[in-house]
Amino acid sequence: MATAVLASAALALTACSGGGDGGGDPAETTLSFFTDKAAWESSFDDMNDASDGVAPQLDFTGYSDPTAYDAFIKQSFRTNERPDLFTWHTGDQLAELVDQGLVAETTDIWDEAIADGYVTEELAENYTYEGAQYCVPMNVVYWVMYYNTQVFEDNGLDVPTTWEEFIDVADTLVANGVTPLHQMNIIFEFVWFQAILAGLDPDAYDGLSDGSVSYTDPPVVEAMEIWHQMQSDGYFIDPGVETDPQVLLQSGDVAMAYFGTFFTGQLNDLDMVSGEDYGSFLLPAVDGDLPQTPVIVETGPLCVGADSDNEEAALAYSQWWMTTDAQSAWSESRGDVSFNPEATVTDEGLAEITTQATSDDSLQMRRYLEATPNEIYTVASEEFGAFVTNNDDPTGHLQAIQDAADAYWADNS
Amino acid sequence: MSAPTARRAELLPRGNKPKNPYWTSSIGFVAPGVLLVAVVLYLPFIWTSWISLTEYNGLGDPEFVGIDNFTAMFADPGFLVSLRNTLFWVIGTILLPVGLGLLIAVLSHGMPNATWFRLPFLIPYAISGVAVGVIWSFVLQTNGALSQALSFLHLPGADLRWLLDGPLNTVMMILAASWQGAGVNALLFGIGLQSIPKEPIEAARVDGASGFTLFRTMTWPMLAPLTTVVVGLAIVGSLKTFDVVWAMTQGGPGRVSETLALTMYKETFVNNDYGLGAAVALFLTVITVLASILYLRRQLADSRAM
Amino acid sequence: MIARKIVLAILGLLWLVPVYLLLANASKLPAEFGNYGLWEPGTLGGLGQNMLDAWSRGKLNSGVLSTAIYAIVAPAIAVVVGAAAGFAIVALRLRNGFFWLVVIFAASIFPLQMILMPLFVGYAQTGLFNTRVGMILVYTVIAVPFSAFVMRNFFTGVAHQVFEAAVVDGATTWRIFWRIYLPMAVPALVAVFILQATFVWNDLLLGLTLTQSAEVRPIVTALSALQSTYGGSTMSTVLAGGLLVSLPTVVLFLATQRIFTRGLSLGQF
Repeated sequence: MATAVLASAALALTACSGGGDGGGDPAETTLSFFTDKAAWESSFDDMNDASDGVAPQLDFTGYSDPTAYDAFIKQSFRTNERPDLFTWHTGDQLAELVDQGLVAETTDIWDEAIADGYVTEELAENYTYEGAQYCVPMNVVYWVMYYNTQVFEDNGLDVPTTWEEFIDVADTLVANGVTPLHQMNIIFEFVWFQAILAGLDPDAYDGLSDGSVSYTDPPVVEAMEIWHQMQSDGYFIDPGVETDPQVLLQSGDVAMAYFGTFFTGQLNDLDMVSGEDYGSFLLPAVDGDLPQTPVIVETGPLCVGADSDNEEAALAYSQWWMTTDAQSAWSESRGDVSFNPEATVTDEGLAEITTQATSDDSLQMRRYLEATPNEIYTVASEEFGAFVTNNDDPTGHLQAIQDAADAYWADNS
Repeated sequence: MSAPTARRAELLPRGNKPKNPYWTSSIGFVAPGVLLVAVVLYLPFIWTSWISLTEYNGLGDPEFVGIDNFTAMFADPGFLVSLRNTLFWVIGTILLPVGLGLLIAVLSHGMPNATWFRLPFLIPYAISGVAVGVIWSFVLQTNGALSQALSFLHLPGADLRWLLDGPLNTVMMILAASWQGAGVNALLFGIGLQSIPKEPIEAARVDGASGFTLFRTMTWPMLAPLTTVVVGLAIVGSLKTFDVVWAMTQGGPGRVSETLALTMYKETFVNNDYGLGAAVALFLTVITVLASILYLRRQLADSRAM
Repeated sequence: MIARKIVLAILGLLWLVPVYLLLANASKLPAEFGNYGLWEPGTLGGLGQNMLDAWSRGKLNSGVLSTAIYAIVAPAIAVVVGAAAGFAIVALRLRNGFFWLVVIFAASIFPLQMILMPLFVGYAQTGLFNTRVGMILVYTVIAVPFSAFVMRNFFTGVAHQVFEAAVVDGATTWRIFWRIYLPMAVPALVAVFILQATFVWNDLLLGLTLTQSAEVRPIVTALSALQSTYGGSTMSTVLAGGLLVSLPTVVLFLATQRIFTRGLSLGQF
């Protein structure tokens, strides 16, 4: 079974490199395209304009419920409704599809793109399984701190460059009756864990993802204690407040919000202007002695279904997608950063973030959600959600996550 | 007529020769309904039952593991919380939306402009679930509309974290569900009230019965067929509670507000443990079938005697 | 009567409070949302602007026609199928009627989330996936158990003499069903119809799972896209969209209210 799939994947690749002798002109093809980023439809419409005559067109189907979407994509491989092209998640989730031979290999495309400088080799690690690459990056997100410039000005604050300065900023805000930070108890409940631990001990953060470090080890406990202290000091807004984070940042109900760079688009929707109404900075590392500042990076793949109707054209599209032309168009349409360092990023704030995040002073690290095996992540998100809500003793939560980790690594070492 | 043996005879199909003159046409009238549900609902259910005996992650082929999923299910403390919350939902739903629905129907029955008085209760059902979820988040969030109103009126409770602490969050979500569901029950009870013949009620009234006595001795028994519908639907619906909880807390924080339907959904689609999810689904189905048969058998057997 | 009116009016006003909050918050422009308190209303212009925004961002126009078809056709078929089953069980005294009622009703017990995946696979294999026929079929089936249950219990309130009298007049069962039982059951049929039509109109799960193209997809799948975590719209836009999408069902409820007040007293037959 596995060999058959591998063989067919290899066949497909040969067909691709053979210059499209298996079908018509890829640029004339329309691909079935699925994504859980339903709100991005207009940007994909823009990309259809950009790919007109050069690469295939996409027939967009968007899902708003990520859970329903994941289940749909998996089940679709059991039917003849296989997607030509679809967005997915890196980490464990992609590994599952690769194991089953459901996504087409893209090693050749990656080799070429790296040679052309379209993408960094660092990023390729997210897409590599047993030495081969699968899928191409659809987007990249850097997790950074957004702040309300007016609130900073009113309180006489500057952008912090060290963790100590960051804590001072937060303390000043608390003293002046302003809630410093946004926090959620669902969806992004894990982000402060990753931010603090990666900044405290990047190796320990990395070690959690392969089981070499335990959740009850000293660095992890220390990171939780720091988080616990920050919550006790009133740094975070009550997680029961369900107003949109962009609205809270705009109104100054929170001074800062730690979010992925996709948040820029949400702020711009409120007519907030980058550099005037809000700014962003990389969160300084907790441990100031680290040689590089860890930056959390999230990347979502664009995958080609193996044996889909238009596999070859979909691979051609993937290749085009990584080019500077395509990425400049994407960045302009989304108002977001691109994985391609050559692409033009129009938003100055984001351009600055991109420069910093890709410089040698920064260490790119995978987001916790993608870095953690799904079975551990599920328990962790429940535990972090409860911790954010109740700010109780972290020990019990860490133990519960470690129990899940023990069970997982016993089965999958 | 209503002896236990007679009931059992009706519950189980026997191979006896039919004596009913409308035998063929009665089959013809019931067949479309039976066939439709059999193909579209029973077949998938059979598949789910099979999956509950396997280990399956949604990809590849299911692997037979016997009753492992069921032992894992009962060993999970989160499952027991979920079971308890589901029980809260059943009791809460029978008390609140059903009770309120009856109250609204009885109060507005026979009233001129009754439709206008009933309308506010029906609007919530007509509003799209997406908007309902957002609105109740506004109401119940920390320092949200409810807390603001309480503190404005100088009432206690403004500091409560409505959606964050269990079991308070389950109680609040039952209230939100009652807001949406009471009007439908009022509508169904209203139909029941309209189909009650006027003469016996008038006769009782002439005999001096009125108010609550009249309701208890005359109206309530005659309302039985529709009460069965409303309560039966409430039992089934509350055991399956999903939408409200998914929209408002997703079962959290942690797992304190999870219901069985949520456990099933999360195990299947979030944790990719299709086998365990199917086991929860099967368990949920079995208790729902038992609850509804126990309830319906008594109710329907009684109402048939009329 | 006055006391009853006062109790109902107070309860009714209480019920309208969340509706007020919905309107108040749907009418705040996203950029100004933070300036208002939760209880303060926005402006009428804001409401219109947000609705337009939701309409164009969510591409809601594409789903309207198909959703209307589903919400009308499927419940209409389901009420007739359900009434037929109820008629067979009650009037024709179907053998083992209770058993068959349980068979139909028990189908509503399965949690919908659980049958989605097998349904999707089955639909993809039979070519029903992403077709309007497929959607009408599944919505009809979902509505049948409820419809059969209500209609069966409604018919138990009808004296059997009605049926016997019609038989004496020489009517066929087919004719008795269409000409006597169905017309008599109009309020119950309408109630079942509007409740199920509302369900279909607001359905998200089946729409997400069994369709993909914009022409076949129901409207709520488009509406919910406004809510996504990545680049979703603000709450006021989502609320305005929700309100807009809810208008037809609210109007449906308003329009059918009269049917319930005709004061049919059915037990008198």
